[in-house]
Amino acid sequence: MQVRITVSGGKITDVTALQVPDGNRRDQEINDYAVPILRQQALAAQSAQIDTVSGATVTSDGYRESLQSAIDAAHLK
Amino acid sequence: MNLTAELDRRAWVVQVMGLPVSVHLRGPRVRTDPVAERVERVFAELREIDAVFSTYRPESVLGRLGGRRPDPATAEPLVREVVELCELARLRTDGWFDADRLPLPTGGTGFDPSGLVKGWAVERAARWLADLPDHDLCLNAGGDVLLWTAPGRPAWRVGVENPGRPERLLDVLERERGAVATSGTSRRGAHIVDPHAGRPAEAVRSVTVVGPDLLWADVYATAAVARGADALDWLATLDGYAGLLVDAAGRLRATPNWPGTRPAAQTRAG
Repeated sequence: MQVRITVSGGKITDVTALQVPDGNRRDQEINDYAVPILRQQALAAQSAQIDTVSGATVTSDGYRESLQSAIDAAHLK
Repeated sequence: MNLTAELDRRAWVVQVMGLPVSVHLRGPRVRTDPVAERVERVFAELREIDAVFSTYRPESVLGRLGGRRPDPATAEPLVREVVELCELARLRTDGWFDADRLPLPTGGTGFDPSGLVKGWAVERAARWLADLPDHDLCLNAGGDVLLWTAPGRPAWRVGVENPGRPERLLDVLERERGAVATSGTSRRGAHIVDPHAGRPAEAVRSVTVVGPDLLWADVYATAAVARGADALDWLATLDGYAGLLVDAAGRLRATPNWPGTRPAAQTRAG
């Protein structure tokens, strides 16, 4: 899954799915589930004005769907 | 006056030790080459440590030992330091952190210091950034956080993830320096072993520990998950450290010195 994180003035303003693989029902189901969660996470983080997230070990695989990845993305450049 | 708005901030993210490691710096020179080079040194040192200690790499020092504990008398200094710290961690946690009897990636059980090496390695590697005056650090290694701020700077705000609902936060902590570490069963299922029973610990969903050192905050959080629901009473005895525990039923308890907004009284994770 690839997502677009919209950043304005150093703040996350939206998260949308950029690439939704088609022809794979399971992928579609995962996207339908994960994208709203990621958006909710990112915007919640923004409203709480948090700088980072402490949570049970995020593996490299789980990172892309994590709130921390959204926070990182807002400051990578 | 809003100092945050005037501070430039930059992040770097690298996958190392099987984890995403992100470094956030605030300060006037975050876009300069010397600062970027220091950050690269941090990641390089983490890779070097992983090459020695990874139990997933058959060619690492630990991989070659195949679950045997290195002999401190003959081990290289870094390995000896870790073996000795593991023994100290076992003593400080009444045996609830025990690197000697863990399930190995290659099967069977044996010595695996990974649970301690992460925090130790991050603290060690972060020294490359320690002498950057006027720069604030917020380093997150797979959910464990090390941070500091220059005098007069705003604290970093650390969200504590709700293990039952990752889209929600349990609490937000304002910290100027030190560590916030969380261990639990939410991301990878039950992967912390109860060293006394020899099976995965399941009585606790997650424990977050706040304190001065990342190594110890992480070790104490892991030991608390292994220990189970009464771990909070033990955490309360640790000088300089505070804890927040979510049990298997989603009930939430914090030590009296917990710095967040959660009351010490029992509440539920929403």
